[in-house]
Amino acid sequence: MASAYVLRETGGNLVRNIVMTVAAVVTMAVSLTALGGVLIMRQAINKATVQWQGGVQLAIFMNPGASGQEIKAIGDELHAMVPQEVQKYWWVDKQKAYAEFKEMFAGEPAFIKVMTVQQMPPSYRVVPAKAQNVPQLAAEFNNQPGVHKVGYPQQAINQMLSHFSTLRTVALVLAAGVMVGAIALIVNTIQLAIFSRRREVAVMKLVGATNWFIRVPFMLEGLAHGLVGAIVAFALTYFSRGTIASFVGNNSLNYGAPLYVSPHEAVMTGVFILVVGMLVGTLGSAFAVRRFLVV
Amino acid sequence: MIRFNHVTKTYRGSTVALKDVSVDIKRGEFVFIVGPSGSGKTTFLRLITKEEVAEEGEVWVAGKEVGSLAPWKVPYLRRNIGCVFQDFRLLPTRSVYDNVAFALEVIGRPRHVVRSQVPQILKLVGLETKMDRLPGELSAGEQQRVAVARAFVNRPLILLADEPTGNLDPGTTGGIMRLLERINEYGTTVVMATHDRQIVDSMRRRVIEMGQGCVVRDQARGVYGMVDA
Repeated sequence: MASAYVLRETGGNLVRNIVMTVAAVVTMAVSLTALGGVLIMRQAINKATVQWQGGVQLAIFMNPGASGQEIKAIGDELHAMVPQEVQKYWWVDKQKAYAEFKEMFAGEPAFIKVMTVQQMPPSYRVVPAKAQNVPQLAAEFNNQPGVHKVGYPQQAINQMLSHFSTLRTVALVLAAGVMVGAIALIVNTIQLAIFSRRREVAVMKLVGATNWFIRVPFMLEGLAHGLVGAIVAFALTYFSRGTIASFVGNNSLNYGAPLYVSPHEAVMTGVFILVVGMLVGTLGSAFAVRRFLVV
Repeated sequence: MIRFNHVTKTYRGSTVALKDVSVDIKRGEFVFIVGPSGSGKTTFLRLITKEEVAEEGEVWVAGKEVGSLAPWKVPYLRRNIGCVFQDFRLLPTRSVYDNVAFALEVIGRPRHVVRSQVPQILKLVGLETKMDRLPGELSAGEQQRVAVARAFVNRPLILLADEPTGNLDPGTTGGIMRLLERINEYGTTVVMATHDRQIVDSMRRRVIEMGQGCVVRDQARGVYGMVDA
């Protein structure tokens, strides 16, 4: 009985103020889409730079067929450079390389299919003691036996990161600004709903409805605004995740493969958006109820 | 059932609404509160439902001191009190049935209770044939009957009526008064604030007369004006 009543009331409120409801939902959706876009871009970058995390600036890729001796020689040399030239280093074997490869090229399943673990170049990942030593270190290892090539794509990564950082700032400012508008609209919509139902509220108080019973339909209305806005934002970020990722630029690190975000990651972002939307909607309406509903 | 113990209530702007009022109303009584406008009748009623809080003295309702009642308990206090007003306060967009059912729904009564109680109470007030009408389609007397039905549908211990006949012609007034008497016969304590001399004089019930915030008369089977006036 009580829950049926609450749902009917909430639904009624949403429909009664349809224009305000739409405005609140749309602004909420825009704000959350911007927020979701930032998360999508960051996921894309994390994927593209999976080999270059933890301060790694230099990767010494061995030939897939390099002998144990050749591998050990490079390792010994790196060991001798700690800590003056090399802060730390570690070995990435073929299995791990294959896992990274699958992540980097998750958007190109056909490519993944034709590659095998045995074809993967294992590598040493090097965190240099000083960034300016990188080209010198690279030159030192480049022509050693068993070395396929030495990569130090820091410039490309930095370029991508600075591009991302600009996009992120713009998107977050947009998200925050529009979010303020969305909250204001939710508060205002709930205020209107409270006003248009003041007779009912007066009667409810008169006959002894509990304060929460009076408040809940209004709070659920705010939650619904947030939730519906978030669902729209979820759909937008999910289906345009490729486009959003491409805003960061082409992935010059991985032979120009487009930046990619997996459906699973996009769903995780979507869940986060849903939680934020419901939270903001509920808090906004709670504020309106506290402020405008005297119980 | 209702006991005022040296109650004083002052509104902002230092208007004294009630001054050291002590009154004891027993279960099942029918009491008229009379007096000129501004004498404190409405304040008296609003203190009972804790719409106002006394700054001095105690207000006891159904065994509880209302002034010190926790805010979350106030709704449960009000479930024991039915209220009727001069202006009816019905919901204009809901049918007669829905207006009465609303009072039960919002305190979480199960559907089968609503379905059995509402037609029963509407029969009591004589509106069983007009359940689907909107309040605006009814006469003033009928609207007040709906309001009484809404106030009584939860079988409260106390029924407060603030000038319930203020907007009604004498003929309709009689009907409402018979209804309130009937409700009183069920055991509900009825407290009615009124200006209507004729009602008070004809019913010969307890009369509490207020003047400038004080009880100036409390008479067991009284009339509207002072007997010796």
